[in-house]
Parts: sequence; C-alpha cells; structure tokens
Amino acid sequence: MKRFKTTKGLIGIVLLLLIALVAIVGPMVIPPDAATAMDMLARRAPPSLAHPFGTDQLGRDLMYRVILGTRTSMEIAVSAVLMSIVLGLPLGLISGYFGGFIDNVLMRLVDTLLAFPALLLALTISAVLGPNIQNTIIAIGVAFTPYLARIIRGEALRVAQMPYVEAARSSGTTDGMIMLRHVLPNILPAVIVQGTISLAFAILAEAGLSFLGLGTQPPAASWGLMIQASRDQLDIAPWTALVPGLAVALTVLGLNMFGDVLRDILDPRAK
Amino acid sequence: MKDIVSVDHLRVEFATDGGTVVGVEDVSFTIAPGETLCVVGESGSGKSVTSLALMRLVEFGGGTITKGALNFVRSDGSILDVAAASPQVMSRVRGNEIGMIFQEPMTALNPVFTIERQLTDGLMLHEGLSQSAATARAVELLKSVRIPEPERRLKQYPHELSGGMRQRVVIAMAMACEPKLLIADEPTTALDVTIQAEILALINRLKREKGMAVLFITHDMAVVAQMADRVVVMYRGRIVETGTVEQIFENPQEDYTKALLAAVPKLGDMKGKPAPERMRLIGDEAARAAVTAAKPRKPQVLLEVKNLTTRFPVKGGILRRTVAQVHAVEDVSFTLKVGETLALVGESGCGKSSCGRSILRLIEPTSGEVWIGGRDIGALNRHDLRRARAGMQMVFQDPFASLNPYRRLKDQVAEPIQNFGLASGAELKNRVLQLFDRVHLPRAFMNRFPHELSGGQRQRVAIARALAVNPKLIVADEAVSALDVSVQAQVLNLMMELQEDLGLSYLFISHDMAVVERVAHHVGVMYLGRIVEIGPRAAVFDNPTHPYTQSLLSAVPIADPRQRRFVDDLKFKPISSPIFPLGHQPAPSIYTEVAPGHHVLQA
Amino acid sequence: MTYVLNRLLSVILTLFLITLVTFAVTNILPGDVAMMIMGTQSNPEALEGLRQSLGLNDPLLVQYAHWVGGMVTGDWGNSLIFKKPIIELLGQKAVASSIIVVMSMVIALVLAVPLGVWAAVHRDKWQDNVSSSSALMGVSLPDFFWGIVMILVFARWLGWFPSSGFVDPSVNFWGTLQHAFLPSLALGLGLMAHLTRMTRSTMTGILSQEFIRVARAKGLAERTVIWRYALANAIGPVITIAGLQIGYLFGSIIVMESLFGYTGMGWLTYQALLNRDLPLIQYTVVVIAAVVMLTNLAVDLLYVVIDPRIRLG
Repeated sequence: MKRFKTTKGLIGIVLLLLIALVAIVGPMVIPPDAATAMDMLARRAPPSLAHPFGTDQLGRDLMYRVILGTRTSMEIAVSAVLMSIVLGLPLGLISGYFGGFIDNVLMRLVDTLLAFPALLLALTISAVLGPNIQNTIIAIGVAFTPYLARIIRGEALRVAQMPYVEAARSSGTTDGMIMLRHVLPNILPAVIVQGTISLAFAILAEAGLSFLGLGTQPPAASWGLMIQASRDQLDIAPWTALVPGLAVALTVLGLNMFGDVLRDILDPRAK
Repeated sequence: MKDIVSVDHLRVEFATDGGTVVGVEDVSFTIAPGETLCVVGESGSGKSVTSLALMRLVEFGGGTITKGALNFVRSDGSILDVAAASPQVMSRVRGNEIGMIFQEPMTALNPVFTIERQLTDGLMLHEGLSQSAATARAVELLKSVRIPEPERRLKQYPHELSGGMRQRVVIAMAMACEPKLLIADEPTTALDVTIQAEILALINRLKREKGMAVLFITHDMAVVAQMADRVVVMYRGRIVETGTVEQIFENPQEDYTKALLAAVPKLGDMKGKPAPERMRLIGDEAARAAVTAAKPRKPQVLLEVKNLTTRFPVKGGILRRTVAQVHAVEDVSFTLKVGETLALVGESGCGKSSCGRSILRLIEPTSGEVWIGGRDIGALNRHDLRRARAGMQMVFQDPFASLNPYRRLKDQVAEPIQNFGLASGAELKNRVLQLFDRVHLPRAFMNRFPHELSGGQRQRVAIARALAVNPKLIVADEAVSALDVSVQAQVLNLMMELQEDLGLSYLFISHDMAVVERVAHHVGVMYLGRIVEIGPRAAVFDNPTHPYTQSLLSAVPIADPRQRRFVDDLKFKPISSPIFPLGHQPAPSIYTEVAPGHHVLQA
Repeated sequence: MTYVLNRLLSVILTLFLITLVTFAVTNILPGDVAMMIMGTQSNPEALEGLRQSLGLNDPLLVQYAHWVGGMVTGDWGNSLIFKKPIIELLGQKAVASSIIVVMSMVIALVLAVPLGVWAAVHRDKWQDNVSSSSALMGVSLPDFFWGIVMILVFARWLGWFPSSGFVDPSVNFWGTLQHAFLPSLALGLGLMAHLTRMTRSTMTGILSQEFIRVARAKGLAERTVIWRYALANAIGPVITIAGLQIGYLFGSIIVMESLFGYTGMGWLTYQALLNRDLPLIQYTVVVIAAVVMLTNLAVDLLYVVIDPRIRLG
C-alpha cells in the first residue's frame, strides 16, 4: 500500500512540476504573438505536425494558447488561494484560540457566507465589480475565505485545548507568543493541505467563471475561455474542448493526488 | 484434568510500512479448566497480541500467525487448532465457546443499537433462539451481572449507561452462550478503583459458578495478585517467566520479573514508616541506600487554601442560558508546608484536577482564597499573576500532549526562563544543560523532538521545564498515571530526590492509593468536590474514618497473593454527579478532628 | 425539543444576515438602474423621476429596509430583463432546479455508498486502489466537462436524450425527466466521486473502533458486521456530508443549466448577472442562499432523528 501511496504522490508531484514549468517558463520561450496569430488557412484543424494540438475557430494554434492559458489560470488560482489564506488565517486563528464571544460572532458571519454557494458568490462579486483578471482573483479569494476560516478555526480550537498550550500559559507565556510559537506551527500542516485542495478548486472555479464569461476576458487566454469558445464546434472540432479540458483535469488531478499524500504524511504525526 | 488451552511456540508478525515487525515470538503456555491465567507485561510486551491470536482476531489488525499452534478443546471434546481454523469455524467458536471482553467499555458497544439488540444477536446466531426467547435470556444475563432494572436497560442505548454498567453488559454479552474460556484484555484498566473491585469480583464469581477458564491480561501486578492462579510474565514479545502466583511474587527467578516486582508500590508497605521513601529499584543503588531522614518538624507553610469553590456553568435551553452548575470544587481548605507533599486522591469527577488548576488560576475559582508564600493569588491582576507563575508550576498527565511536537526540547525547557527574562545567551544554555542533568537525561536529547523520546523520558522533560524557574510549588496532575510501572517508579524516585535536594513542595493529584502511600506526607481524600478526610498519611491509611475513605481503601487491590479479598458485588454506590440547579446553596464543609491533624467531614 | 427551537432561532438570524450580505455585495454594482430600465438615451428628467420613485436616491439603510419589507410582504417587484414579476419567475424555475438537484443527489448516493463501503472493506488492496483512483479522476474533472461529454456521447452520437431545453412538468412530466436526466447525470458523477471518498473514509474510521472488534468477538459473520453494525453508524455522517454538498450543487447548476439550456434557477441567475438585472440578482441570490441554509437545517434535524445519542442525549 505504501507503494501505491508513493506512486500516487510521485505522479502528483511530476504533474505539478510539469504544469509549474509550463506556467513559468512557457510564455517566455514561445515566439511572441504565437497564441494570437491566426492561420486562416487552417481553421479548426485537427492535430498535425504544424499544429500539434490543432487550431481553434480563428486558426489560432491551440498548443500555444494552452501554454499561455496555463500561466493565466495558475496566476489567478494561486493568487486567489493566497488571498483566502491571508484573510482566513487570522480570522480562524483568533476565533479558535480565544473562543467565547469573539468566536460566536465571527463564526456566525462565516456561517452566513457559507450559505452562499462559492461559485455563486464568486460570480456575483465578479459581475458586480466587472470581470477581468484582477477581479476574478478577488472574487474567488473572497468566496473561498469562509471555508478556510472554518477549517483553521477548528484546528486552532483543537490545539488551544492541548496540554502544551496550558503548560505554556502556566509558564508565563503571553497569548500572542502562544499563538505564534505553539498554535501556528501546529495548524500549519492543515493549512498546507487545505491550501493544496483549495488550489484545485480555484482552478475549477476560474474555469467555470471564464466559461460563463464572467472571468478572464478575451484577448487574454485561459483554459475556461478556451472551453467556452469550443462550445459551438463540438461536433466538428472536439479537440478544441479536449485540449483545455485535459489541461484542467491534469492539473487538478495532480493537486488532488499531491494533497492526499500530503494529508497522510502531515496529519498522523501531529495527532 | 486435560488443559483446555494449549499454546505452542506461537509467533505473530505484523506488516508495517517499515517492514515486518514481530509481535510475539516463541510463546507457549497452557490453561486448565476453571483456572485463571494472568498474562502480565508492560506496553509492547505482546500480551494483547497473544489474546487476539487465540481468537484469530489478529488478522483484522494486520497481523499473521506465522508459526505455532493454538489448541483449544471444544465442547464436544475435539481439539481445534485455532491457528489453522477456517473463518466459518472461528465464527462458530467466537462468542460461543470462547468469550472476550476488552478494555474500553465506553466504546465497546455499538452506539446506535439498543442493549437488547446487542445482547440477543449473538444468542440468536449461535443457539438458534427466537427473538422472544433470546430477550428472556438477555434479562437473565443482565440479572446475573447484577444490573438493576434489567428490563428497562434492554431498551436503552449505550450512552445512557455509566462506564461500569457498560462493562457489565459487555461481560454479559461474552457470557451469553456460556463459553468455556473467557479472555479478558485489560477489562478494568479504564475504570475507577471501586468499580474495578466490583468487576473483578464479578468475573471471579462467574468463574466459580460456571467452572470457566479465564485468560486475564493486565499490566497491574496488584490485580494479578488478586485474580491469578498462575502467571505468565511477558517482555518485548517473549515469555520471561511462568509459574504459580505465589512462586512469581515470593520467589521470582528472572531479573526482569524481579525488577518489575520491585517497581510495584504495594499498599501497606509504608505502615509504620514516618516519611515518604523511594522505591527500592533494582539497579538504582542510590535509591536502595537512601532512607529518608525524618525532616525537622514545623517547616513554614507554603500554600494555604481557604474555602476554595469552583463551579462550571451548564448551558442549555433556547437562549443557551446557564441552567445548572457543576460544583467541581466545593469549600475546600488545606495547607501545604515547604518541602512536603500533599496528595489529593479520589475517583474520576471528584474535583481533584479542577482543584489543582484552580489553585494555579489556570481556571478561575468562583470563591475562596489561595495564599502562596504569603501572597494572595486570587487578588493578583493579570500582569502580576503572570509574574507569580514563576513560583508555581504544573506537570501534566499526558507526556506526549504536554510537549509541543514542533519545538525542540531545549527550547521548550528554556521557554519559562525566557518568559521571565531570567537568563539569556550562554547563561540560558547553561541553565538548560543543568536542568537536563538534574532529571538524569542525556545532554544529547536537548536537540531532539518529543516524538523521538519515550513516555517516561518526555515526562522528565516536562519536570525539567517545571523546574526551570525554581518554583516553590509543583502541582503534579496524575503525572505518573500514564506511565508503565517500571518507568513510573523511576519518575517517582526522581520527584522525591528533587524534593529532598531542592525543598520542593508537591500537590500530588492521583487516583492510585498505593502510589500516594509512597510519596505523600499528607493525604486529602476528595469526593464530589469536597475533601471528606484529610490528615497525615499514616493516620488516613491506618485509621480511615470517613465511610468513603474506608470503601476506597477496601477496593484497592493489594500486590500480595496471600492478602486476597473479594468484595461483595454491588457493595459500592454509583458515583453521583455534582451537578446542581442554579441557586442551590450547598452547606459549608464542617470537619471533626479525630486525631491531631486528622480531619473528617461531617455528614 | 429545545435543540430544534435553538436551531430555528439561529436560522432566522442567519436569514437576516443573508439579506444583509446580499444587499451589501450587490450595491457596489456600477451602473444606473434607471438607465437600464428606460434606456441610455432617455430624458434626464424622466430618469430622475424614475430614480425618485424607485427610491434610488435614498440613503442605503432606507433602501435596505424598504427591500426587506417588500420581501417579507411578498412584493418582490419585476425583473428588468424579463419584465415579469420576480416571484412568478422564481417559482417556475425553482421547481425545475429542484428536479435536477434531487436527481443528481440520488444518482450520486446510490452509486457512492456501496462503492465507498466496498473500498473501505478492502482497504489498501486492489479494490480500494481502483475505486480510489477512479474517484480521484472524477473529482478532478470540472462539472461542465462531464456535461460536454454527456452531450457529445448521449445526445449527439447516441441520440438517446435531448441535449438542451426544458419541459414544464405539468405539461409533460416524462419529457421533463428526459431533459433533466443528462444534466443530473453530469452533476451526479462529479458528486459521486466526492461522496465515494467520503464514505470510504467514514467507514474506515468506524471499522477501526472497538465495538466492531467486540462484534467480531461475538462470532457474528463479517457480512453482518460490515453491512449492519458498521453501516448503521456510517449513514448519519454520510448523509450530513451529502447534505452539505447541496450548497455546492446549487453553485454548479448555474454552469450546468446554461450549458444545457435548461431554464432553471441557475440559468435565471446567470442571465440576471450577465445583464445586470439588479432586482433579479438580489432575489435569486437570497433565495438560493436561503434554500441552501434550510436544506442544511433539514439535514441537521434528520441527524437528530437518526442518532440516538442526540435524540436522547
């Protein structure tokens, strides 16, 4: 069984490294304008030597577009998750550690936000602010914050009740120091695991938002936009949907695999 | 008479991530009908694995029987090798010819099924009874384990029963089909001492009535002395010594057995001795030679507690208002002198832990006064209280949970010193080194993390941390309860050594009377939040006056097979709960002084 | 009983907060509602008149109170793009979406629970690996991708089901189901993958508990131990987890209904957002959030019924 876990972890890491490589290095090495150049003679062309992933309805090479899209989609996802951590971590930490009235009030707010489906919240924020890359990040980041805050609050609550926190208090450690030295390191594993899983959801969310036209806007390239553009030619050119779809699937798969293995490694030891 | 169980060169292996681990190796023993065989050992000795192998339950835990035979004589006289039996045959044997009870009564019953269902399904399966016949049998079974109102209990769910009652139900389930062998794996370890005494008496009575053989697994030598006809001592997966219970206790052959026996505190050993004494452990020459000199009388008072009361609110109702209160600590008063140990003993829920925490103001008392070194602790504001903490430290029960898994040990021991700015840099490092030496831990451990140490070693680190700022008072809250017997003895000796050298005072909270007898100068017995009896250790132990103290002492098993006593089943009242409605004003505690310094609560 | 009352009080408070949050979020909306109704070329005086009558110049707090008042009395106003009463619109679409949500949940549970139990029982062996891997893949594909696959396979190539549209159930119930099937299947597969993983982990947790060992020690057949003793304890947590997914489902239907041209609540919400129909946005968001919250309440109460520890606690 350990072999399976390690295989799963390895595949996950390999996939992620690949995606990260493409996202960071890709746009720098491809010829400029390669993703927007329209080859009118080869519109909706199936995969070939000239165009390894085929072309879309405007004759643009799909491989270059998907590479560009990787960076966009990853940028948005990573920024959104970071934002949700920056907002949710202090919220959950204070709520869980101090408990009582603060906890009641804060969690009441968080629970209210949780009643809104994350996608709906993100869509609404994006529509209200005006869809572009920046606002997509804000929309997804804010929508994910309540989930993260709840999980962190649960962990902080658990750790706050551990004898070593009580021991630190009876040793004269101040609350602030306890949160920094004792609580934070012990909730970090959960934050990392949850962050990885959130990243997967953020990519799916960005794809969904762009698919509906409320995420990234043309002429920027993102996976969701590409899938949306492919809607009208599913019969005649299914690869226009498959290429970005698989990109999403592989990234999310890699993140999920990695996240699973991460959880198995980090959790048992802390407990 | 032919043996009913014969185990021959048993070997069990476990497949783990780190490779194959051997659970037990070359284990052989026999059990005769009507005989109790005790398998005793510390953690990791393999005693549980042996019992699970006999029921072929090891496979469910990832184990495999790789060698040996487990011969069991069935009711029809045929001999079955459990190690080679098929799952179908084992299904017929389990619960039918061999019954098993486990350690945790709180989790041994399915939470979503009624008691009736759980008692009858085994009966219906093995004996082919109809539902109504099985239910009638179930009532009989509950009566035989002395559960009051059996018909009503049948319809209840497990969470509605107390721990002791659940264990009785589990025993009833195991006895349902009148097995010839009962395997009991640490059945009383999780129970209070009075309830333990009842359960042990129950098992003994059932054994005599049915002529059953019993395989009894435990780590507690006192229980072994009470229950066993023959004993098997295990260590690290192997059998160390076998013999009758008298042979093992009075004439142990192997070094490990001798060391184990030396580490067991025996109730009654301290009779006639004026002061706490270290345990005479094998290999610890300093302890064997030391005889605690009687300290000069009348040292000054360090801790004075007056009418301490701590109550917790119980919330309920629509608006989560307080509907009742838990009277955890009720009108408690005592004094503790410099360099002495006061033990607070009692069973679960008596308030001893809450009392210790209230004194340190880790939880806020409701009323009363606490004076330490002449300062009124209750009157201190947050800032001064923090400073005052340097004089009073605590050692907790769980050695793993009281250390931060992500910080190095030297940092955790240094933390109190840093908090109060008492030292830094090289001087700090020096101080930490000295502390590690003091608790007899190798200096190399300083850079390690908690998970790299054993339970006893971690507790030493916790003690080092408590000593770091030279406190006068240390509250030890069940500090040795989670440790193996031999390790427990070492840590106790360390604590007594530190008391002699540094003039420390201990508030020693524990449920273990035998340990308390060793370690304490004065003893306070708590029940339902009050101190029911308090006085010098000799007075309380030799002349227990309050009925609760008397019943408590009578329930404690003595680690001497020649001093067996079986209490009458159901002698002890169930422990009531200290929850009272809001506004209930309890009467103050009034004591009678039956001897100098020996006070007993009036009814 | 007091537990139920407690929760109800909690619900009312949360509903109130939901309206507050919705109002706050939607009022950052740039753009002039009056101009949207009458067109950008209209007479400025007429526009101002409309603004006054709609109360758009009042302070925010007054607008909010006005809005909540209208909600409570049932005066929900009209949609800007559809020019029809919002209550009417929502009523029709709510039924449509409920059908999908219920269908996908049923599909998901029926497949996920046995699969999850099977994986847990054969933990760490090939059955577990296969089931976990497939579940992992299922969770990794976006819902709308499944939708596209469904359209391609079942509608275009096989022609078994219609690829878009919606039929009123009172007119032709069978037609409704046909149109609802593909979107539900697409949603259900993604949900099933997640629920399988959750069922598996719940079951492995239960199987490691003491009472399972005790049950085996009684000689009960392994079949009984798993499917009676263990499962009875797993149903509660699994239903709770499934119930929490309803929130996620209501988010996913926005994409799925648009993909399939299925005119339900999700489709309606999307149209409202796309066209900046402020009143419609506000009401669809509030209604969806309220439905999610009430569903969670129902699941909690169901749990009280199932678990004797809480019922008799």
